[in-house]
Amino acid sequence: MQRTRFSLFVGLAVLGLIVGSWGMVQRLIHGLNPVAFGSYVPWGLWVAFYLLFLGLSAGAFLVTILAYVFDMERFHRLGRLSAYTVLIVLVCEVIFITLDLGRMSRIYRFLVTPNFNSLMTWMFVLFNAMLIVYALKTFFLIRGDLVAWSKDPQRKGRGFYRLLALGKSSYGPDDYGRDYRIVHGLSLISLPVGLLFYGTNGAFFAILMNRPLWNSALTPLLFIVAAVLSGGALIAFLTHVFLKDDELVTSLGRAVLYCLLVFLFLEALQFFVGYQANVLSVVAALNLIAFGDYWWTFWIFHLGLGSFIPLLILLFQKDSPGAVAWACALIVLTFLAVRFNFVIPDLAVYKLEGLEHTFYHPRLRTHYTPNVNEWLVSVWVISLGLLIFLLGSRWLPVINSDQRGGMKHAH
Amino acid sequence: MGTTLPSEDVLVRMQRDLKRALQRDPKHVRWTMVIDQGKCTGCHACTLGCVAENKLPPGVVYRPVIEEEVGRYPAVRRRFLPRPCMHCQNPPCTKVCPVTATYANAQGVVVVDYNRCIGCRYCLVACPYSARTSDFGEWYTKETPDAPSVLLGRTAAAQSYEAHPSTEYGRRWPQRGTGSPIGNARKCHFCLHRLSAGMLPACVTTCTARATFFGDRNDPESLVYHLLGSPRVFVLKPELGTHPAVYYLK
Repeated sequence: MQRTRFSLFVGLAVLGLIVGSWGMVQRLIHGLNPVAFGSYVPWGLWVAFYLLFLGLSAGAFLVTILAYVFDMERFHRLGRLSAYTVLIVLVCEVIFITLDLGRMSRIYRFLVTPNFNSLMTWMFVLFNAMLIVYALKTFFLIRGDLVAWSKDPQRKGRGFYRLLALGKSSYGPDDYGRDYRIVHGLSLISLPVGLLFYGTNGAFFAILMNRPLWNSALTPLLFIVAAVLSGGALIAFLTHVFLKDDELVTSLGRAVLYCLLVFLFLEALQFFVGYQANVLSVVAALNLIAFGDYWWTFWIFHLGLGSFIPLLILLFQKDSPGAVAWACALIVLTFLAVRFNFVIPDLAVYKLEGLEHTFYHPRLRTHYTPNVNEWLVSVWVISLGLLIFLLGSRWLPVINSDQRGGMKHAH
Repeated sequence: MGTTLPSEDVLVRMQRDLKRALQRDPKHVRWTMVIDQGKCTGCHACTLGCVAENKLPPGVVYRPVIEEEVGRYPAVRRRFLPRPCMHCQNPPCTKVCPVTATYANAQGVVVVDYNRCIGCRYCLVACPYSARTSDFGEWYTKETPDAPSVLLGRTAAAQSYEAHPSTEYGRRWPQRGTGSPIGNARKCHFCLHRLSAGMLPACVTTCTARATFFGDRNDPESLVYHLLGSPRVFVLKPELGTHPAVYYLK
């Protein structure tokens, strides 16, 4: 990434942190009081962002699997960037969901009194497993360069790199071979863990029998496809920006195109089955998506900017890496609309007829619009993720990779 | 004296039933509520009684009364459906709680451990009856200006009602500040703190139409046991298999 562009994005991230800190301060002092969601729509923007980030990690996850489990050479260049992306995205994800807890200081309760019948407990377990696996994977992928950088007399912060390399002072082919085997082993572990992680997040919603739109075997599948689509689009965009590997970008673009088609097909199925079955609450929820107050997020953001235009680009400009990258960026940027339209409409349909007319309070309504506080907190978390990612891309050896554990890259 | 006068108020009978139930082995008691829709007048006294008893803040309600309009003009009727927590025998809310903060106690009452709940609100989403609400830390006196006077002003107004500690689950929850139950899921608990003191739930005693009945359904002498034998009995959403402990009479 060019220096000016890098500085611009760092500046944006810092500005986001400064602006968003007002929302964070309010959140930390007043708990959930400043948010707009209530008891009938108990989850809002932060859960939508949580799901967005969950999906964004999936593409990078798949790349690491292709590179280190199936040993596909062409993805090796992307290995470290992908592992690092998964790590940063998981961190953003956990910040969002922690901030959404009414009593976040009790998060330790997951360890003290877990309920293994709850899928949320399994999400916690699998999330932590992913975090540990990807932290280790990133470490072993960049250790060679960390050692090299710690000995590079022209490089500033050599002590920092020595610390990150855990004091290791030499790194030879044997070390590289051992680290590669460790990464291979970690990738083998992460394959079932990751699949369970993404599937569990879908099942988390699908098992709720009183939520007819979610309560479908299609939901976990839709989640996995959505995750691969948004995550694949992100990694294609990052490959274009950081690695400038045109061939890889266009290949990833083709994969994203197929994922987009499958996702739209599944989404169309959901609407078709919902309207044909004509179950009142399902139809009400689908109507909210398509014709409710936020119809424009569905038609304009998701279907227009996030599906139709990328589809045209990926079909007719498939050999242009720049165009493919922009198509992927559009998918990523508009995918919040998909997550928002998944979370809110089913919650926003009363499950007991007449409940809306009985006891009036803003917390007991189904109309939900995220307020300034929720957006500010979201800006803060995203800015934090962006800043860590950018700083890592500049001061950690996470961008390039080669067959010798990054020794060449480290001069 | 007319012969139509009741010989005994149902409250007296339920009080006697309660006393008997409290003397039984708690493991064999199954608290049950029966609500007679035919008697309910929609006065909302139960809702208010519950709010006052449990010091519920704005936006938290345990027992709203749903008003339904049935039929088409001119044959229109109104029907009322008080909706406490159903205390399901197969509760969907307890299964999803990731930290076992909500569970059915020995008498089948679904309770929330405020000191364990992390406020994830998964139970709110899982409840088919929307019977759970989250405490967002609201105050009735939020908009009241704080005047220096003793009689007027936010502080004085709050102390006269909402800063009183709630006694849910037999504990004195501290005055509303930042601690639990703020941030927690909250719900009807059949006034367990009153039951343990030998008193009927607040919604039962405040019911002006005597439409709410409470007792141990395992006690063949209790009023609720007899009412459950009525052909008018139904439960909400039976198709979900939650087996509520709150029954309705048509």
